[in-house]
Amino acid sequence: MFLFVVRRLFFAVVLLLAVSVFTYLLFALLPTDPAALSCGIHCKPETVLANRIRLGYDKPILEQYWHFLRGIFVGRDYGFGQTAFSCPAPSLGYSFNQHACVTALIGETFPVTAFLAIGAFVLWMIIGIGVGAIAALNKGKWQDRFATGFAAVGVSLPTFYIGLLVLFSVVIWFQILPFPSYESPLDNFSAFITAMILPWLVLAVLSAASYTRLTRNGMLEAMNEDFVRLGVAKGLRLRVILSRYVMRQALIPIVTIAGLDFAGLLGGAIITESVFSLPGMGRMSIRAVVDSDLPVLVGTTMVAAVFIVLANVIVDITYGFLDPRVRVS
Amino acid sequence: MKRKSIFGAIGLGLVASIIAASCGGSSSSSSSGGAPKKGGTVHILTMGEQIAHLDPQRNYTGTDLAFAASTMQRTLTSYKYAEGDAGSEITADLATDTGTVTNEGKTWAFTLGDGATFEDGSAITCADVAYGVSRTFATDIITDGPTYAISYIDVADYPGPYKATAEQQAAFDKAVNCVDKTITFNLKVPVADFNYTTTLTSFSPVPKALDTGEKYDMKPVSSGPYKIESYEIGKSLVLVRNDKWDQASDPIRHAYADSIVYDFGLDPSVIDERMIKDAGDDQFAVSESIQPENLPTIFDNDAYKNRRVDYYDPFVSYTNLSVKNLSCLDVRKALYLALDRDALRKAGGGPYTGDYADGFIKPALALDYAKSKMLDGLKEDGTANVEAAQAAMDAAKVSCPDVAKHAADGLVYYYPDTPVWAKAIAIWIESEAKVGITIKGSPVEASKYWPTVMNPDTNYDIVRGGWAPDWANASTVIPELFSTSGGFNLTRNADDPDYAAFEAAVTAAKGDLDRVSQGKKWQELNQYVVDRLWALPGTFLKAQSIWGSKVGNTYQWGPYGSFNFGELSIK
Amino acid sequence: MSNTAAPVLSVQNLRVSFDTQDGTVRAVDDISFDVYAGETICIVGESGSGKSVMAGSIMRLNNSSTATTEGKILVNGIDVLTASEEEVRGIRGSEVAMIFQDPMSALNPYFTIGKQIAEAYVVHHPGASKREVHDVVLAMMIKVGIPSPEKRIDEYPHQFSGGMRQRIVIAIALVNNPKILIADEPTTALDVTVQAQILDLMMSLQKEFGMTIILITHDLGVVAEVAQDVIVMYAGHIVEQSHVDALFHSPTHPYSWGLLGSVASYGANKRGDLYTISGSPPSLISLPAGCAFHPRCVHSKGSGNACMTVQPKLRDVGTDGSRSACHLTDDVLISIGRGSDRS
Repeated sequence: MFLFVVRRLFFAVVLLLAVSVFTYLLFALLPTDPAALSCGIHCKPETVLANRIRLGYDKPILEQYWHFLRGIFVGRDYGFGQTAFSCPAPSLGYSFNQHACVTALIGETFPVTAFLAIGAFVLWMIIGIGVGAIAALNKGKWQDRFATGFAAVGVSLPTFYIGLLVLFSVVIWFQILPFPSYESPLDNFSAFITAMILPWLVLAVLSAASYTRLTRNGMLEAMNEDFVRLGVAKGLRLRVILSRYVMRQALIPIVTIAGLDFAGLLGGAIITESVFSLPGMGRMSIRAVVDSDLPVLVGTTMVAAVFIVLANVIVDITYGFLDPRVRVS
Repeated sequence: MKRKSIFGAIGLGLVASIIAASCGGSSSSSSSGGAPKKGGTVHILTMGEQIAHLDPQRNYTGTDLAFAASTMQRTLTSYKYAEGDAGSEITADLATDTGTVTNEGKTWAFTLGDGATFEDGSAITCADVAYGVSRTFATDIITDGPTYAISYIDVADYPGPYKATAEQQAAFDKAVNCVDKTITFNLKVPVADFNYTTTLTSFSPVPKALDTGEKYDMKPVSSGPYKIESYEIGKSLVLVRNDKWDQASDPIRHAYADSIVYDFGLDPSVIDERMIKDAGDDQFAVSESIQPENLPTIFDNDAYKNRRVDYYDPFVSYTNLSVKNLSCLDVRKALYLALDRDALRKAGGGPYTGDYADGFIKPALALDYAKSKMLDGLKEDGTANVEAAQAAMDAAKVSCPDVAKHAADGLVYYYPDTPVWAKAIAIWIESEAKVGITIKGSPVEASKYWPTVMNPDTNYDIVRGGWAPDWANASTVIPELFSTSGGFNLTRNADDPDYAAFEAAVTAAKGDLDRVSQGKKWQELNQYVVDRLWALPGTFLKAQSIWGSKVGNTYQWGPYGSFNFGELSIK
Repeated sequence: MSNTAAPVLSVQNLRVSFDTQDGTVRAVDDISFDVYAGETICIVGESGSGKSVMAGSIMRLNNSSTATTEGKILVNGIDVLTASEEEVRGIRGSEVAMIFQDPMSALNPYFTIGKQIAEAYVVHHPGASKREVHDVVLAMMIKVGIPSPEKRIDEYPHQFSGGMRQRIVIAIALVNNPKILIADEPTTALDVTVQAQILDLMMSLQKEFGMTIILITHDLGVVAEVAQDVIVMYAGHIVEQSHVDALFHSPTHPYSWGLLGSVASYGANKRGDLYTISGSPPSLISLPAGCAFHPRCVHSKGSGNACMTVQPKLRDVGTDGSRSACHLTDDVLISIGRGSDRS
């Protein structure tokens, strides 16, 4: 187990390096010139050059990358004299667009994304698995038809338009809730809930659809397993059969997908954050693309990668926990 | 922001300076009786994620300048806080008057009034103004702002306050010197309207001790009636009253609302829906832009007539011709006559995008505008006059066969590689083909467009243009666009036989200290360019705004083409 | 069938059908039989003849949402088909236990085998202490012949071989000392060498526990070895029910002849030919009219049109207690059955 974790951690570090290198390379290949974005029609060649120097894009890409790597361990200094400032380690660089250290920016935006992801995730697992289970237990009846319909429609609904529709109807037309304005739960819990409830629901209901299908099919499949029949033949209660036999089996593929979905969300629920104006990391990363803000781009990409790697490890461990057949010995 | 949707990035760096004559929707905002109430919170809804720059020396966008100047950044002189023509007149702000000019326009002096303080309570001194001005020179940190200080102030090799040696700093202090409360600017060249230049926040005071360089953008020190309570990019900017601001020291600001809040990062369709619905807190909100699809809803319905405006913003769009390559007026005429401007406007969004321009100076620049006599045969409805164009082309084949052949072979049109422009270029190609002129589109990645076409080595025949004056004087239009020393001359007209006369007339106009007489000169020069078609006038652009039913003082402030944010009140 | 005691299991007019998209599948069609304490009864027939469905009905294991069940199944005087869920649960595992065909899939892969045996015990002994359960489980493991049970009690099914897993399934089945053990082809999925071991184990445990075994199989060798009574099923019907000796010496149904004919040692006639059944089993959705077996029966013309039109009833044939569902006359059945002329 220890070795497993060490191996995984090593792999994660290598992967992060690869992700950062890849982001740098990709950025170098982008047609957009970040130094020409802020000056518009005042972009004389010398202005662009000055900007390039200011932003640090004048140096060879390898040198830029070296400074970036070094910054993670020792921090980075910018400016001089009175205007000097630094981004302490672990520094992911400085965003000249947002006038802040990338680490700090992620520190501000990530909790928003995390709260959104956690809340939506919990809700959608409950809805998805719940509806799926009800469908499986009532196969062929109206509950099943409803759930199957929900799954089919839910998967194909675009988050953006559904989000807007919900926002328009609940907040603007019927004024059931005030316009969501994100507050940290530590500062103002009720405002936090008010701002999060719609994005949670939209994300949860739409994401739950595929989990409904997974749960339903997984359970139906499990119910046909011989060992479930043996469980029934033992005289076990239905509740026990469902939890220890059927669900245990049906959950395994769900855990894998849920882990990756959750990790993906932590990388930024871009559309939901945009529609509901949540100041999360997803929106920031999209903005970094538009602004060609390399430090933010690399930073958010790496955070997203960390979570995908982490999710994979957790999924693997959970998998081993759930299924002794794949347990590492 | 709002222009971007129609014309791609015209560039952040344009300050408007002209009066927005309301047109279409009548704006009855400021006329309803009684003085506006004090108190309340005004919201500004925007899809933007932040203010491009709040650092006064880096702020160069019409809306942002209107916002910062009216709330936090006092300047030596200011535009009057008024609707209509009056709004483009200047008045004293920190200074006691609009400045004293001597030395044939090369020396300007301003004396600071009493009682003005920063938000920490310290008095605003002449040195603070000089320090603020000096920051513009630190081009390695203070980017994106207007650079008039550098072009005008008589100092050489000054790197800004951060890197200056003692001698360099002394040289600057000599060029911009303080005696008690009087600040004197010594300029390299005569600038008749330098007191207009000083309305830019790049001439705002900055307390040296509190300057944080690059980071000053996030928390500039306020000298106005509001100060920043919180600024979270992607979320909100909250301004509250600056209790150190003394109404008695400020001759122009009223500061009605208790708080002004910028709400960032809203989806544009959400903004429109909220403004249309006008419920709850949104009754206290204003929005700077309206999505094209919602314009008919708002402008065809009288329910919104008291809270909407359709106005000329400061921008003019036009097309630069390389006079060097197209050194034949007949060919330039043929190009203009054959162009289906009607189709171009429809592709851009129809009448809400603006009216056909008759030059490069907008009517709102009242002193400098006169209706131009347009080219014979140019149709007022914007459609092509193929017959006249063909005639011009036939004439060109005789008068200048080389250029005519070049036009037939193919004129290179550099355009930003965006869907909007791809559509526009298709219309150009189709229009000009009817008179045998071939247009070869050459797309450039959008962010690299301006650096590319501004590179003298780029051999184009045609490039787009778009401009707004930096202040309410055509001195920031005609010389900028058509003089070889101008900052945005893409016409390559230096070798045109008529250029020398033009340049002489420009110099004369610039030095004319009589504003009315100067305006007459700009009118003539505008006609001069229209006659020679160094560039083809396009559209006087329009913009649309909407505000909540409980917001007062919602006039469009001409020089900036936006609300006067600091004056917004709650009814 | 001369038992005078009450049967431990009485199946009466059992019909099981499944609704499918293609139509109604009559998996079990009107079958009745009794099983008495301590006996071993074998049910034989081809795949799809309804053996397993019938066996599943005894514990009400068939999917209730798609299956329609009629008739009566009396266990301990309780009709399993109409009893409450609670009553049925009391029967399952306690009165009637079951062994499945494939030990590889019959065990829950997510729990240790100790837990799975214990679970079966605890559900019917709710008050049992941990210690007691542990002892019972270990004892069961020893009984079914799992070596070093102390160590293996905490292992998972995938750590066991097929034969060992079947022993565990047997341990689970017998942990509550049931009256009836239904074994649905318990050796089919195992290696030949292991098959005999498992069968021996079952037989020896039967001696020890004294339970009734209902063995579903298509292995006539097994039948010959362990059965007392044999039920032959074809297309959801019982076509013959006989004592094992009677079946092997004088089967009384043409289908049984065929079945036995496919096993060389029993089926070869005097000339050494194998009697085989041509064709394939009918679709259970649209059974042939009359006797379901008639399209494959070489004697079906011997009784006029009856085979094609009238479904034969199970009736006594001869004197050795055999029952058969065939229109042929007893004499014909007996004489052919004795092997004088099967062709």
